Amino acid sequence: MPLLDLRGVTKDYKLGKTVVHALRGLDLRIEKGEIVAIMGPSGSGKSTLMHILGCLDVPTSGEASIEESQISSLSEKQLVELRGHKIGFVFQTFNLMQTLSAQQNVELPMIFQGMKKKERAQRATELLTMVGLADRVNHRPNELSGGERQRVAIARALANDPEILFADEPTGNLDSESGGTILELLKRLSTEYGKTVIIVTHDPDAAAIAERIIHLHDGRVVEEVKNA
Amino acid sequence: MLKDFFMLAARSITHRRMRSWLTVIGVFIGITAVVALISVGLGLNKTVEQQVAGVFGVDTFVLVPKGSFGPQRHAGGSSDQYALDLEFLKSIPGVKVAAAVRQRTGFVQGPTKADGTSTQGFLPVMGLSTELVNEFESFTGKLTVQPGGRLFLPEDKDVAVLGADTAERLEAKVGDTLLIAGDANKELNLTVVGIMAPNDEEASTGSSGGFSAGMQPAQSKDTIYVPYDTMSLLWGEASDVLVTLVRTQPGADVDEVADRVEKELNARGSEVSSITYSDISDAIGTMTTTVSAFLAGIAGIALLVGAVGVMNTMFTSVLERTKEIGVMKAVGARNSHILTIFLIESGLMGFVGGVVGTLAGLGLSALASMFIGRFFGVQMAVVASPALILITLAGSFLLGAFAGLWPAWRASKLPVVDALRYE
Ligand SMILES: Nc1ncnc2c1ncn2[C@@H]1O[C@H](COP(=O)(O)OP(=O)(O)OP(=O)(O)O)[C@@H](O)[C@H]1O
Ligand SMILES: [Mg+2]
Repeated sequence: MPLLDLRGVTKDYKLGKTVVHALRGLDLRIEKGEIVAIMGPSGSGKSTLMHILGCLDVPTSGEASIEESQISSLSEKQLVELRGHKIGFVFQTFNLMQTLSAQQNVELPMIFQGMKKKERAQRATELLTMVGLADRVNHRPNELSGGERQRVAIARALANDPEILFADEPTGNLDSESGGTILELLKRLSTEYGKTVIIVTHDPDAAAIAERIIHLHDGRVVEEVKNA
Repeated sequence: MLKDFFMLAARSITHRRMRSWLTVIGVFIGITAVVALISVGLGLNKTVEQQVAGVFGVDTFVLVPKGSFGPQRHAGGSSDQYALDLEFLKSIPGVKVAAAVRQRTGFVQGPTKADGTSTQGFLPVMGLSTELVNEFESFTGKLTVQPGGRLFLPEDKDVAVLGADTAERLEAKVGDTLLIAGDANKELNLTVVGIMAPNDEEASTGSSGGFSAGMQPAQSKDTIYVPYDTMSLLWGEASDVLVTLVRTQPGADVDEVADRVEKELNARGSEVSSITYSDISDAIGTMTTTVSAFLAGIAGIALLVGAVGVMNTMFTSVLERTKEIGVMKAVGARNSHILTIFLIESGLMGFVGGVVGTLAGLGLSALASMFIGRFFGVQMAVVASPALILITLAGSFLLGAFAGLWPAWRASKLPVVDALRYE
């Protein structure tokens, strides 16, 4: 029973009169605890796929299910619920709140779940310690390096202890050294904590930590490679 | 959770410090105008009421010709004098003291001069109840006579007090005798007992201020004053009363007594209306409320401009933070969370504008009261109404929130994916 199961998924974007077919009938299964890389040229539909897998968007046609529940049959409220509990996101451009400290950024998802202040603060500190930023809790994003920001973003993505972690080009804006730290961290989340990690990337180093690499082209899966 | 939303909103306000302040200033100007104008209006109202209360006391009312006071007043439709049976009025239950003023024009012959001639002519003659002088000083102001003279005593009959100019024209002194001719060959010789001090007008403005001047028939320099009862010896029963002042028994309901007096006198052919303290304060209240409402309306326009400023800032803020909104949603924020955060943000800007504006408005109204008071020579009451302050503070938050409603709603409805892709 796969954790994520896509069958014949298409996604169209209407742009005025023209229709962009971002996904053109895509089949994909991802098991719990897997670490998967999604690769492909720019515009091939990687982010679109990730948004659908991450319950941020719904497919135009086809079936997408997460743990047996059909995404298209879920209400907006249930989708929000899923996003809050089961799924964490890491973005290429970090997307931290500039006005908040590292600690507050990590607390943010817990605020939306209505978690108590004390509990929240403690968990945020733990997570920041885990990503190696115990001494940076009160720094604002603009007082952190790119790699540090991405580690804060990972801590934030883990705030509500999700099962699945999505990372869209997590190393795209980083040099290879800090990128390496991020990749090690993601690998550890899979091996030590049993998280399902899905990485969208151009970076061969990033692909190298995956157990499986899925190549997209023009909205279709063109190749699946199992890493040794 | 709400506390955290306040924190998030406050962070983003302080993050855009300059723009937030400019927005706050927009609200602040409107609130300042509203608070200042309403406070000055309230102060004005209170001041006038205090003045009226000072003149009237709460136990006194006035009888004026019917139709000469209030909204139904009409020009020329009523005579300005009326008939009155003063003794009957005094006998009506609830009346403690009553004093009236009659006025006629009479033929007057001055004292014989050294060369055997005397000055004569037609002059206004006023009959004053003794009580008017003794009991209603707040209406008449302090009447003072020149040294060596006196005002009327209760038993006085054939006496007169002269206005300063009249005394000069008739060349009369205290102790001289005048001849006054009334109706139908009635005439009397009156002994001059006093001459009004020439600076009476100034002396009279002391306690009662400008208000009593309108109510005050005595005090003209070219008039001859005689005791009220003396008037009937010359002109018969009173049909020429200008004004009557009535003080009620202690504990009596002034408005009730005034109504009864008005009804009973009208039944006997006196065309009078009563004016009580509450009639006047109602009329003043209506007037000042209208003025305040008008001023507040103008201030409201300023407020509206402030609200549009908040709306504009919030739209910009939503646009700038599209990506942030997407991220918040991606990490589990509901639409209602986003809506709340943005409403708090715009509400806070309104509130800060409200706090600063209320303080400035109260300060401004105190300052304005000082200037108005100095200009009119009265002590203006400064009113800082707690109700006004509370309503303003709550209102300014709501104003801000309301102005932010539309932008906040738009923010909350942004689709996550579109917001995330926004650059
Ligand atoms: N909101 C949208 N409206 C219209 N077209 C869109 C929209 N979002 C994506 N597309 C189109 O869908 C296609 C797939 O986009 P997507 O972002 O998934 O590509 P990607 O593989 O992530 O590319 P990149 O590597 O550059 O991030 C592109 O051709 C893009 O132009
Ligand atoms: Mg992409």
